[in-house]
Amino acid sequence: MEGLTIRRIDPYRLEIRQRPPMRTSALLYANAGIEKTIEGEEVIRQVANVACLPGIVGPSMAMPDIHWGYGFPIGGVAAFSLEEGIISPGGVGYDINCGIRCIRTNLTSKSVSPVLGNLLALLYSTVPSGVGSSTKSFRVDRKEFRKILEGGSKWALRQGLASNGDLEAHEDRGCIEGADPDAVSERAIERGMPQLGTLGSGNHFLEIDAVDKIYDEGTAEKFGLFEGQILVLVHTGSRGLGHQICDDYVHSMLASASRFGIDLPDRQLACAPVSSREGRDYFGAMASAANFAFANRQIITHLVRQAFEAQFSACWERLRMELLYDCCHNIAKKETVSFEGKAQRVCIHRKGATRALPPGDTRLPDRYRKTGQPVLVPGDMGRMSYILAGDENAGETFFSACHGAGRLLSRQKAKKIAKGRRLIEELERQGIRVMAASRSTLSEEIPEAYKDVAEVVSTMSGAGVARIVARLRPLAMVKG
Amino acid sequence: MGYRLIDHTADLGVRVTAQDMPSLFREAGLALARIMGATSREKQESIEASVEGIDHVDMLVRWLQELLYLIEVKHVRIAGIEVRELSQAKLTALVSCRLEDTPLKREIKAVTYHNLDIRPVEGGFEASIIFDT
Repeated sequence: MEGLTIRRIDPYRLEIRQRPPMRTSALLYANAGIEKTIEGEEVIRQVANVACLPGIVGPSMAMPDIHWGYGFPIGGVAAFSLEEGIISPGGVGYDINCGIRCIRTNLTSKSVSPVLGNLLALLYSTVPSGVGSSTKSFRVDRKEFRKILEGGSKWALRQGLASNGDLEAHEDRGCIEGADPDAVSERAIERGMPQLGTLGSGNHFLEIDAVDKIYDEGTAEKFGLFEGQILVLVHTGSRGLGHQICDDYVHSMLASASRFGIDLPDRQLACAPVSSREGRDYFGAMASAANFAFANRQIITHLVRQAFEAQFSACWERLRMELLYDCCHNIAKKETVSFEGKAQRVCIHRKGATRALPPGDTRLPDRYRKTGQPVLVPGDMGRMSYILAGDENAGETFFSACHGAGRLLSRQKAKKIAKGRRLIEELERQGIRVMAASRSTLSEEIPEAYKDVAEVVSTMSGAGVARIVARLRPLAMVKG
Repeated sequence: MGYRLIDHTADLGVRVTAQDMPSLFREAGLALARIMGATSREKQESIEASVEGIDHVDMLVRWLQELLYLIEVKHVRIAGIEVRELSQAKLTALVSCRLEDTPLKREIKAVTYHNLDIRPVEGGFEASIIFDT
């Protein structure tokens, strides 16, 4: 697609004008600082390619943490009509329902500081992490595995690994409706079953943070946050199960694309009508992987609570280790959105984006009905993370916000910059302890490899999509 | 002839070159094994792997996905690859290997179709493949 033109609409928004074969325009959320980080034409072309797909409703959107992905960009949001639109495995990504959750505590950084090293070592030994990590304590048989695919965190509740309060603090109460384990291949089950309750590697992590600054006192109070408070972030997804499901359905949809008259500018955009057999099967398999990911993060939460209980000789309820919220990052969901004054049911794809419901939305549990949904935005290893709340303009992005800092450098470039540096010691000098299964992964995740997350969240806040509630300072982390 | 890593912001790319099409498939498979740390010096046994696809590009992705599965789930550590049959729609290869559950160096989640094409270059063929890591 040649000659794409971009114009600035206001300080927080850029538009790519519609031109054939685009079916709609594209909207990028970027302030001047973020605009400079949008790498060349590749990522812009990817946002425009998504605008070419059948049945798209509203613009093809990109959040401020956008970066070059494969097929759809990372940070991309696109909604497709349930009747005339498509569903695309590449629009969700390989790590289906990769997501993040935040666990509160009533501990303070001052009280945890003397035992931080020990606590980190306990977490590292309790939660399996690293390349190909496999479960230690949560081996299940096929029958039980099927129940996990159907029930997600509801399965965890039945097993005594979750509380009712935990479920309330999940997107969709930790279970995406419409899961169909029969649509999941044998190979996907083989890859996923041994990995239940594991963190994995790459950008997945487990992190202890302290609340560094409160920006919105009222909302922070409703979220149960206070300055100096210790929080735990867990970032992981559906592991090999999701990877294989994405593979399986990219293949089947590539084969069926011509039958549906779909012209693909990139094979990785393989898709099928939402209402077709291929589309329905993919949705059922994807929802199964999403439910596995919810259960995976819930099991890790159980393990984190056990580690804290051992360290502080108190039960997790006494430590007030409640779940603040669990957000999906890579997902396709059937939701109702309003576009040009008309409410319609769509299949919304969020690939590297978080749902962000505004105050008053009836899908929110009572405790967040007045504040809007907590939106968790992790930074990178050496920088701050943020907690936002869905705000009044969230309808404009079909209730979506950023999911992180967004990569700036390739892994190769990051490794070159990190060569010869003693990263663990560097981070320790900044007051951050790290235990990593792989030093190679660590060097690829250096702070310089990411955009400045403060620019990302200020763009979302400026656009009125999500407001900043609190800033978190990393203290210790387990990297896969 | 062989492979080199290429830049991609989100993921990991590899550019493979070989003198002919069967060698390109073999080199791509060996590149995947080396990147993941899934190689072996010892040939303990041979596994026949076979994939079908709509063209060479599709088959290259499916072939690497097959190897990824063998490495991750079946703990195959690759010593050598011999491509036995390669048409526009089918590939059959013999993978000599050792089966051992040794830790892998790097996780590859998937092999993508993104920007993948197979190009004729001087002295053979070249393919650039993006892995999701």
